[in-house]
Parts: sequence; structure tokens; C-alpha cells
Amino acid sequence: MSLIGIRQIIPAATKYFRYPLTIGTFQYCTRTTSDPSNVLNDLTDWETLNKKKKISKAMKAYLERAKEHDEFMKRQQFEYNIGKRHLANMMGEDPELFTQKDVERAIEYLFPSGIYDPAARPSMRPPEDVFPARKAAEFDEAGRPHHCLFYTGKPNFFKLLHDAADHLQQLYKYEDQVIRKKATPDPNGNLQLGGSMWVNKDQLEQLLVEKISDLEYDNFKVVMERLVSLPYSYRYKDFIEKFRKPLAVQKFALEIPKPNYDEEGRAYITTYECLRKKARGDVTIRSPGTGKITINKKDITYFDDVQSREQVLFPLIFTGMQNRVDVECNVEGGGPSGQSGAIRWGIAWGLRSFVDKDMLQQMQVAGLLTRDHRRRERKKPGQPGARKKPTWKKR
Amino acid sequence: MILSNTGCRYTKYGFSLLRYTSTSPQVIPENVIDVQQNQKNPLDYPDYFGVHNLFTVKDLFDARVHYGHKIGSLNDNMRSYIYGSRLGHLIFDLDTTAEHLRKALNFTAHIAYRGGIICFFNRNSLNAHIVEKTAMECGEYAHTRFWRGGIFTNANQQFGAITRLPDLCIFLNTQNNILNQHTAVRDSAKMLIPTIGIVDSNCNPNLVSYPVPGNDDSPTAIELYCKLFKSAIIRGKEERRKFLQETE
Repeated sequence: MSLIGIRQIIPAATKYFRYPLTIGTFQYCTRTTSDPSNVLNDLTDWETLNKKKKISKAMKAYLERAKEHDEFMKRQQFEYNIGKRHLANMMGEDPELFTQKDVERAIEYLFPSGIYDPAARPSMRPPEDVFPARKAAEFDEAGRPHHCLFYTGKPNFFKLLHDAADHLQQLYKYEDQVIRKKATPDPNGNLQLGGSMWVNKDQLEQLLVEKISDLEYDNFKVVMERLVSLPYSYRYKDFIEKFRKPLAVQKFALEIPKPNYDEEGRAYITTYECLRKKARGDVTIRSPGTGKITINKKDITYFDDVQSREQVLFPLIFTGMQNRVDVECNVEGGGPSGQSGAIRWGIAWGLRSFVDKDMLQQMQVAGLLTRDHRRRERKKPGQPGARKKPTWKKR
Repeated sequence: MILSNTGCRYTKYGFSLLRYTSTSPQVIPENVIDVQQNQKNPLDYPDYFGVHNLFTVKDLFDARVHYGHKIGSLNDNMRSYIYGSRLGHLIFDLDTTAEHLRKALNFTAHIAYRGGIICFFNRNSLNAHIVEKTAMECGEYAHTRFWRGGIFTNANQQFGAITRLPDLCIFLNTQNNILNQHTAVRDSAKMLIPTIGIVDSNCNPNLVSYPVPGNDDSPTAIELYCKLFKSAIIRGKEERRKFLQETE
């Protein structure tokens, strides 16, 4: 935010011809480069043409603020460097070669902290990270704003709407031309928007570097939908795609692990941390197998009741793998229902590596791949159970 | 009253523009313009930028500037600008309109010549785009959106820093909706910012420094106004550029 930085900003009266996104980054970085050859093309930049430059009150105030901020940052930088040297000496290392990583390591060693929230632990970071960058001046020396919609208070957002409206009008005109010439539309020019959606409000705010209201975001979507609905909207593909983001791909499809191979040449996969209620366990699936199930070194009769046995067998029967894989589990804690639920989830999770995509989709729909996070609800005072109340008696 | 004084300060001969209000544009011989420019004080001339020949009354008529609203909606202060009524609709006296419009254009050109900030206003969404486009084309400013209170009266808070306000507000439509006046008209008056306003037969011209009676709804009329104000601003800026280059 030095004086040089501001000088560079001044001949930037052509800012409104730039795209809002670049303006956004321009506003928030303290240094910017602009093309001085444009100055004479623009009719607005009086004070750069004028010999005796008058500085407006607005610019003067900005310069003062910038100077103050500069001095403050310089002081902070100085203090940071001294602190770094102290830390290096304490750690017995070379202060010249002490990096930010070493600083973090030193602080962790010298000031150990058990505070849970990382933000509350002691730290030392360079001042640029701690203090946010200030807005560069949005006006030139004469006090003339760079952006033509500056007085609306949300220039980037309204410039976006203006551009969209401009494109709409251009497309109407183009469509008329095509009809007049009796030409046929280009079949390859279709806009493919199936795999993406409009950026959400937060992302749009980030793009524009401006806060916008819900109503304004709705207006944005209405305008863009209208632009997209036109037959020749592909002509402004670049403009439209700046505000689209790809749809998220389903997570479990990506992270399926490859099975390992044991000494007998059988593929196996082990799922750790199979949790349900208080039960914890791990499940190993081996393929090919004969459908042998081992639970804590016993067979399926480890569970006495039918329901728990059904729980364990359900993923195998569902995928039709009950005679093709062997299952080994270790499980502890909880009761039969919790243990069988943990094993059921572990088997289903491990089977992902042995089934095809369609089956995976079916398992997802059947809820086999969903973790059950429910825990026992505590007993409440004044009543016999979590929810149970004493029998009501009139007196 | 203070406001109209602020306006007249720039045009000492503001009222002598009446001479140029005839329907056909009067042509000034070129040598006269040369003499004017050599002396270099635009305020000494009634029409330094030659804005009187930007349009004729016929142009106004073609752009349907003479159409007012229905008789029932007439604002009493607009009575003197009305020529008559036809089929229940009021018709503006285009000679009066031309006179006022020329004064407004002259004032605009002078402000542009002095490097002032000019801001265009319009709350009619049908015409908002062309107004913004005009502002961009002549390197000035536009506000055609919802007016958050205090943009002028509480500017330092609104923009987070000391901010230079516009030196001239041009209202292509002084109404916010059909019932209320645009708050910026009142706020400009409070901040002593001179205003030019196209006032239709249902608008109140009292707070506008340079009221121009005329149709403020039709896109053709708005296009004409935009064209005129744009060329006036560009003339002012061209003169400024010449002046600066000569003094260098």
C-alpha cells in the first residue's frame, strides 16, 4: 500500500470495461498494475491530463489512511522479525535460516498447550497473514470513482446484471438476423449445462467481493436462467460458465479401496472401526470363499437370537455373495444387537470392493452403506427412563 | 431557490438562451466560435458548447416527448408547461420543453467541462439498461437500482470512507414508482447538488433545479434524452481536453 501502488491505480479510469471479477481482485489487493496507454483514450481522466494536480478530499483521506496502515504494518513486520530471532536463539538454530515452519515447531515445543481450540493456542504468524489486506482506493486523485455504478453501493453485482441484460439484447438481435436470413441454427452450438449448476450465494459473493441479499441472488438466477433459455445462448458460453460450478460426484464411488492379497492368493479387505451402539469391531472379507463366517473365533451361532443372525447375513444375501466370500470378524462391547449391527455395516462396507457399480447403487439405496450414529439416550432424573414417565395417578 | 442559484452560477447568461429556442436551429458563423474559444472563458458566452443545435422541436415531437399522462393525474405545478389536452391526455408545449431542455444541456456541458461527476438516475426498469449504457459510453455514472437511504446524506458511512458525491444528478424519471418521488431528488436538494429532471405531467418539479417537462416513460423519448445528454457531455469533455492540451 505504498505511494507507488496508488500511483499505479490512478490512471485506471477504464476499470468499468473490465470484468467484475477482475475488479473484485483489484479492489482487495493493495498493489495493482494498469495499462497507462489507455489514459488518453478515456474522456474522464481529467486530473491526469491536468498539469496542476488537485487532490480531492476523498483521496487525501485515503492517502492518510494508507500511510497509517503502512507504518503499522512496518512496525508489525519488525516485531515479527525480532520474535523470530529470539525463537531461533532459544532453539539454538541459525536465525537467518529460521523459517515460518521452524517458528511453528518452536512454539509448539516452547509453549505446549492443551487448549482444544487451535485458534486459542499460542502462535506467531507474519503480519500479512494476521491483518487483512485493505481495500485499494476506488477513486482517482480527483475523487472520481473508477466504476460507473459506484454510487449503487454494489457496483460489481449490478455490472454483472447489466452485462447479462446486454447479452440478452444482443441475442435477441442475433436471433432476428438469423430469422431474416432464413438460416438454420448451428446444431453443434448447444449449451451443455446438465453437469453443472449456478454458483450459490456465498460463492457469488466471493466472486464479486460484495455482500448481496437473498433477493438480489434470486434476481441473478432469474436473469441468468433467462439468458440460458435463449436458443443462441451458446454465443456467451464464457460469460455463463463463469457462474456455473460442476455438480458433486457421489463420494463412495470414488473412494473404494483395492483389495489386498494374502499368501494363498486370495483377495481380502479389512474394515476397521465398525461401530454400532457401544459395539466396536473389524471385519475381514476374503474372496473367493465358501460362505464361512467367523465371529470372535466362533461361527454364526455366536449370536443366540435369529434377528442378530439375520442382520449379519443380510448384506451377503442382498448382494448374492453368501457362498462366495469368507467373513472374519472381531467385535467387542455392546450387546448382540449392537454387535450384529456393527458387523453388518462392516461386511457391507468391505463388499464394495467385490461388487459392480449397479449393485453398489442398490446397496446405497437399501441403506447398507449408511452409518447408524444413534446412541443410547440418557436416563432423566424424576422419571424411570429416558422417556418413560411414572404412571399417572390422580391422587 | 438556493439550488437554482447554484445552477445559474455556471451560466451567467443562462436565461439569454431564450434566443435560441426557435424551432429551427440557429447557426453561428465559424469565426465567431473561433473568437469565443480564443478568449477561453465559457461562462462569458450564452451557448459556448453549441448545445442549441443538438435537436429541434420536430425531433422532440418525433420522439413523442409531448405525451403527458391523463388529465386527472396532473400535478398543479406542471400546469404552466401544458399546451392542452387531447382525448383525455395532456400534451406538453414543446416550445417550452425545448427551452428548458437547452438550458439543461448547456448546464450539463458546463459541468462536464469542469470535470464534474454526473450521475444518471432512472427507476423505470424498461429504460434502465439504456440509461446505464449511456452513462458508460460517456464515462459518467448511473444509478438505476433501488435507492438505499443515505447514499448522499450519509455517504461517508455508506461507502466506508470520505466520498466525493456527484456534481450533477440527471433524472430521466423523477418518480420512484407511480406514487412517490425518487428519494434522491430530495437528498440532492439537501446536499446542494444541482439536478436536472425530466418531469412528466404527474411529477412535482419543485425540488428539481432544471426541470424539463416531457414524457418520461416512452423508450423513444428516453433514447432521445440519453443521446442529447451524452453528446452534451462529450462536447464539454472535448472542449476541456482541447483547453488542457493548449495550456500545456
